[in-house]
Amino acid sequence: MKENDVKLQEILKARGIDMGLVKNAAEIEIPEAKDSTKKLMDIYYNLKVTADMEAAYWYDRVWWENDGDVIEVRRAKAVAASLAHMTPTILPYEKLVMNKTKNVRGAFPFPWVCASFFNAQAEALLQEVAAPAENEADSVSVVGDGGGNVTKSYGNVISLAKKFGMRREEIPILVKTAQKWKGISVEELSDKYSKMTPGYKQFKGIMDSVICMFDSFAIPQGREVINYYLPLQYGFDGILAMCDEKIAELMGNAEDDGDFGMSRGYYYAAMKEITKGLSAWCENYAQRAKYLESVEEDQQLKSNYKKIAEVMGNIAHNKPQNFWEAIQLTLCCHLGVVNEDPQSGLSIGRLGQVLQPFYEKDKEDGIMTDEEVIEILELYRIKITCIECFASAGVSGGVLSGNTFNNLSLGGQNYDGATAVTPLEYLIIEAGMRNKTPQPTLSILYDEKTPEDFLLKAASCTKLGLGYPAWMNNQTGMNFMLRNYGPEGMDLHDARAWCLGGCLESAPGCFLPLDYNGKMTMVPGGASPTCGTGVHFIALPKVLELVLTNGFDKRLETQVYPPHNQAIQTYEELIGLWKKYMELTTDVVNRCNNIQMDIWRKQNMPVVNSLLKPDCFKKGKHIGTMGARYNASINFESCGTITLVNALASIKKNVFDDKVFTLDEMVDGIVHNFGFKTAYETGVFSPDFRESTENSSTYEKIFAACVNAPKYGNADPYSDQIFKEYHYYMYDMTHRFTSYYGKPLYLCQISVSTHGPQGFVTLASADGRLAGTTYSDGSVSAAAGTDKNGIYAIFESANAYDHSMHQNAQLNLKLHPSAVRGVYGTRKLLEVVRAYMRKGGFHVQFNVVDSKTLRDAQENPASYRDLMVRVAGFTQYWCEIGKPIQDEVIYRTEYEKA
Amino acid sequence: MRHYDCKNYINLDCEKGMCALSKAIVFIDEEQQDPCAKFVLAEKCGVCKNFQSMDTQGIGQCIGFEKENWTYASCGASTCKGYMS
Repeated sequence: MKENDVKLQEILKARGIDMGLVKNAAEIEIPEAKDSTKKLMDIYYNLKVTADMEAAYWYDRVWWENDGDVIEVRRAKAVAASLAHMTPTILPYEKLVMNKTKNVRGAFPFPWVCASFFNAQAEALLQEVAAPAENEADSVSVVGDGGGNVTKSYGNVISLAKKFGMRREEIPILVKTAQKWKGISVEELSDKYSKMTPGYKQFKGIMDSVICMFDSFAIPQGREVINYYLPLQYGFDGILAMCDEKIAELMGNAEDDGDFGMSRGYYYAAMKEITKGLSAWCENYAQRAKYLESVEEDQQLKSNYKKIAEVMGNIAHNKPQNFWEAIQLTLCCHLGVVNEDPQSGLSIGRLGQVLQPFYEKDKEDGIMTDEEVIEILELYRIKITCIECFASAGVSGGVLSGNTFNNLSLGGQNYDGATAVTPLEYLIIEAGMRNKTPQPTLSILYDEKTPEDFLLKAASCTKLGLGYPAWMNNQTGMNFMLRNYGPEGMDLHDARAWCLGGCLESAPGCFLPLDYNGKMTMVPGGASPTCGTGVHFIALPKVLELVLTNGFDKRLETQVYPPHNQAIQTYEELIGLWKKYMELTTDVVNRCNNIQMDIWRKQNMPVVNSLLKPDCFKKGKHIGTMGARYNASINFESCGTITLVNALASIKKNVFDDKVFTLDEMVDGIVHNFGFKTAYETGVFSPDFRESTENSSTYEKIFAACVNAPKYGNADPYSDQIFKEYHYYMYDMTHRFTSYYGKPLYLCQISVSTHGPQGFVTLASADGRLAGTTYSDGSVSAAAGTDKNGIYAIFESANAYDHSMHQNAQLNLKLHPSAVRGVYGTRKLLEVVRAYMRKGGFHVQFNVVDSKTLRDAQENPASYRDLMVRVAGFTQYWCEIGKPIQDEVIYRTEYEKA
Repeated sequence: MRHYDCKNYINLDCEKGMCALSKAIVFIDEEQQDPCAKFVLAEKCGVCKNFQSMDTQGIGQCIGFEKENWTYASCGASTCKGYMS
């Protein structure tokens, strides 16, 4: 027992109070999840991630049957057909229904977006032999082999992308479908035109070396916030009527817009098709519920099916009449959007504010109690957790760690600038505490106006070790919005509507007037396309490595960049060369990604999302033709910031300032991994594991100097200055390049899981990190084990620059559970958050977990099926994360004091 | 006779489902030991009267719509307007 605890015990004992009772009372008692939730979670834990062909088959069929039609109408018909033909699945005990596919953790391939993967492997798939990796990023990406991931084929189940199980009999259907898209998928068509760019060869070299590990076409939508307003306000029948009115008004009428005016009529024709598809999808669920009601003998379940049939039948046509219908309608729209493209990071947004009017009326009318609402919200968590994204191994494992980042934001400010917190948002947190699932992850938009009891409730949830909610700075977010979207006309009202798209991508929004319960409420929602495609993810330390090796990738034995042939004499020369390679990288990657996304928006434009997203319906323009209110949303994503900063600090200190070693000696140490075995030799990706070779003594001194060089995160001006200069350079550099929307890029700083594979391909770095080990996580987290001066020193370092310059900044912290024990611990946790926010920090999130537990879970995954950790902007089941990321999370500095 | 081909089968994933009546987990490749009295044939393309000329991979022709097209036997058809039992 600690000294303070002993003293407290003595004081209380003197007053006749038993310490044991006090301790128990100190922690909030969290009620168990509802029975329905527990039954469905029991099923969930045993589910395999599954891909099937129903949706893909119907999309493909209707697409080709409408060959020659106006492309947005043709696309809408195909997406509508895929939704309207899927077999509806309803489980007993469900109250909210609908899945992406007929399978509960289901997804399906999109060969019209990416066909080469299937075509290249068609023969292998048909012969059921192990398929080759799609590309270099796939080969170095590790998918967690526990939980529901199907990493190997078995029986009649074929493993795809190291994650999805597909029935053997559906493989020929996949191959037959994919072959028709050979050469004309978004991927292949964009590659055809990318080859015309002068930097194409350079682009391929950068991709092959995994300096960049993401093609925008792979997940062209998401990392944005959905908007549920239109169907909540009008219902599907109401939207169909408005489409008819618009078609009557605009078809054949260009008005004064000779360029685009005529296209508006086709837009509304397309919107009519997709709305019919969404409506039919709901109607199919109503019919299935009626059938299940007819065969069910249990009266409670029978009545439940009857209610589902009523809800689904109503929302198939009408605007919602109560909370249950409203949340079900939002779920339908959400699944509709994630089914129109390979997609991750379609965020739910501020759902507790959007649905508050429905909740409020049900409470007033005595239709639902809070406990009944909590049950619906618990079940909602299961639905969102089941959203899977079909993508290659490199994307699903290397980037996403299997998560799809359906983020739900809470708090912030409302239209009038007061706190936006609603009573429903307390219940959303409560449901997240009772039903512990990775999704939706929760994000608190921390604002000084946020009620204290709400913040404490959120802190008590964070303390549970679920990895949510994370904490974002509302003022910093608003400042970024005005800075980035001000040139497009954003005002203060719209700035207040921002929230998180994806895990940490600040996304613009707007407020719209919802007419319900006899009053008008301004509800927030997303107002932009994806805030997460562009130049993604750039391995900053790898670029530095290639500066030191004259542009030559020693891992691949390939000349990636043009050799600079410079004998580097000063730190400034070194930085100059790094910038030169960075700008070359950004130029060639940006141009090819612009082509990818341009082909996507022309050939494969969003239709469900273009129905929902303001101001598409108002303008008669889809998202591809800049129908959204804000379009400066495409960005540059970095990876390994702190590894880079620490490496630069070490070189500056050891080579140029103190002149302890020459640069050649430093490079020699790096190339020889400072005399240790590499992570790919040992299979351990944690920075704390080192296995010597016979050369170890040769590099002993230089390795010690690298490890002991100044490190970011200790409030040390030496490294903090390098960190600050990096940010101002990146702000300037990214804004010099433009997206396919003709708007400047900006910096996004989320590593997601890419610090695993990109660390894997990188030699040792001058900070003492060994070859192949995972980079530092996030963007302002200290490199594991290097932060020696406590949490507040990290806060000082992290805020060396203005966080509102960029889309985000990510700080991940690991706390030992004892550091935040009891109600005082909750208060301490909130004070830590508050201290960081008041310094201007954009984001902080916590793993409240004991490293011993994580080590045990790594050795005995079967005993920890429900263990979740925060990785980098998202929570995931431990057993579904690849080992490189597991190692990195285990080794993060664990704070025993908050 | 497979649970998988019954209308009371609820899809879970690539290897299993649930019987809507008994709530038991049943596996796709599992044959029913004794014919189930409550078995109801599920609507799938393979049992549709408009499905013809199936090949060895389960792919055949759908003639249930104005435009004839290919389809596959295991494709669900409970939501299909062209389905004929």
